[in-house]
Amino acid sequence: MSAKRLAVLPLFLALACKSPSATEQMDSIISWLGTAGLTGEAWLRHTTPDKYTRQTLELTHDSLIDISSGLFKALPSGIDSASVDSALTRSTQHIGLMAKLVEQKNSPAFRALLDSLQSDEKVVKQFADSIEAKEDQ
Amino acid sequence: MKKILQLTLGIITSVGGFLEIGSVTTAAQAGASFGYQLLWAILLGTICLIFLIEMSGRLSAVSKHTIVDAMRERFGFPFFFFVLIGIVIVAFLVLVAELGGIGFALQILTGVGFPIWALPVSLIVWLMMWKGTFSLIENGASLLGLITISFAIAAWKLNPDWSQVGSGMLPSMPGSDKAKYGFLAVSILGASISPYLMYFYSSGAIEDEWDRSYIGMNRIISTFGMTFGGFLSMAVLIVCALAFRPAGVQVDTFPQAALMMTTIFPKWGFYLFAFSMLFACFGAALEISLAIAYFFAQGFGWNWSEDLEPSKDARFAFVYTIIILIAAIPLILRVDPIKVTMLSMALTSATLPLAIGPFLFLMNDPIYLGKYRNGWISNSVVAIVIIISFVLSIISIPLQIVGG
Amino acid sequence: MDLIRDVLDKKLVDREDCAMGRASGLVIQFGENTQPHITHILIGGPSLWARIHPALGNLSTKLSQLWGPKKKEHTRIPWSRVETIGKEIKLDIEAKESGAIDWEIWIARHIIERLPGGGSEEEE
Repeated sequence: MSAKRLAVLPLFLALACKSPSATEQMDSIISWLGTAGLTGEAWLRHTTPDKYTRQTLELTHDSLIDISSGLFKALPSGIDSASVDSALTRSTQHIGLMAKLVEQKNSPAFRALLDSLQSDEKVVKQFADSIEAKEDQ
Repeated sequence: MKKILQLTLGIITSVGGFLEIGSVTTAAQAGASFGYQLLWAILLGTICLIFLIEMSGRLSAVSKHTIVDAMRERFGFPFFFFVLIGIVIVAFLVLVAELGGIGFALQILTGVGFPIWALPVSLIVWLMMWKGTFSLIENGASLLGLITISFAIAAWKLNPDWSQVGSGMLPSMPGSDKAKYGFLAVSILGASISPYLMYFYSSGAIEDEWDRSYIGMNRIISTFGMTFGGFLSMAVLIVCALAFRPAGVQVDTFPQAALMMTTIFPKWGFYLFAFSMLFACFGAALEISLAIAYFFAQGFGWNWSEDLEPSKDARFAFVYTIIILIAAIPLILRVDPIKVTMLSMALTSATLPLAIGPFLFLMNDPIYLGKYRNGWISNSVVAIVIIISFVLSIISIPLQIVGG
Repeated sequence: MDLIRDVLDKKLVDREDCAMGRASGLVIQFGENTQPHITHILIGGPSLWARIHPALGNLSTKLSQLWGPKKKEHTRIPWSRVETIGKEIKLDIEAKESGAIDWEIWIARHIIERLPGGGSEEEE
């Protein structure tokens, strides 16, 4: 292998390992919050089995933690992330609690957390729109 | 009367056997991320597949050769071996994905993770191959797969804006995420135009002893069967566009996909999805295993037939046994079947020239087909779609890898 | 007759239409005062793999002596045994006696028949 090709290789690997942008991470967060919402509604309508619901909510909870941990490093400068930080933390915790409530079959408490999740989701979506606008500038 | 029954069965089995984890995953992701904008890719793939399947049946009925037989004889061993490697590697990945699809379906039904299901599922697929006949596999698995019609009913009940659906049948560029759009287009084409379907269909024509009198029936089966099957893929896309896109949900995992019909069918939606995937992936796993074994047996001139006892076509049976057992290993090691699915669909697209190129030569060879050779329409449609798939995949696959 | 089109890589069947594999090579004899003529059809791994690369042919020969039916020689069918050449090449020979299906029999007896429901390759 020539020296030129060897020199290009680290560049290619660096590109291949490129981190997702803040917009892409926000899209993933919204996707998982939406998943929790759909899963919650389906369970309350007695459409889905308990085990599936619990496992999907746990998967959502774990995925949100993973994405959030990398999100704040990727944010453009000058963005105030305090409101979204607290909305994300709260919604992640609530999703974890919802998974436990499925096991206890506690629908009223589950409904309350699901409603709270929907208002946190609005905050996150507004923040995502502002990030996208900032990245497009 | 017998031909009418065969015709009906042929269409039904084509419909029931169309959907599998590749077509569902790609359509679901496309609908969730881009709404109706990728319907054109399913349409293009389906049109191409209709031509390819018709050609596969015609080749076998007229020449009494399967595609693989003819490829080996016409192009010689070194070229055949090169094609064998490419096709088998990709088909193997698709088999892993299908076994994973069965495992995922069982996971969402029972709560037990798919890695635990990998070996039992492989053993059941193997047992069906070991003890079953070609008829049982072709008809039985596909009749069970008719449950996938529930996707079409769901799409109709969701009452989409049909003018927007119609607009989606024409290619258009998305506003953002062009790399993902291109990659999904490539994957949808790979999911629709699966070479293993051709090898399976042409071998089936030989197993069922087709002759020239079946040419008309072959045309009807391939046209109607694949058309209805393509409609089912479009139905999945439409359902996901309406169920997931408003909520911003991207379908990156199987548990997310399972929610697609829970709103429109409150009582049964979840279970319709789970059993649709279970039966569809099961049928596909059987077809792919057979297609790989056919490839080896026909290429090397061994005895082969799903209707023979395994000891009477020992090497054929040995190949599918080994393939199925090895395919379980990545799943036991917790490799994500959805990622394997997306990769295998994209690779299928990229390797289409390898599978289809030689086949097009054969379809124009008077030694095999005489007056039943391809006309310019068949040649053009297939060549254009294959070139589009290949070019798109060369551009999109690296972009998607780089983009994460 | 076009040897490459009509003979090489064609499927071979015996008296009872049992599959014997494909013609992987041909042995042609050249004489000083005679026309070149085919003396044998070759079947099997070594002659087949050698068409990709001679090293692969040698490797196939070595492996076939270590495992399976442990064949020492290529399977050669005398050209005089060819009955008809059409869609397949029909040979006036019994597959089991020719050595062409030694691998098929070995896999049947050592692997397939040991699994439940595998049957027996010797049953009629």
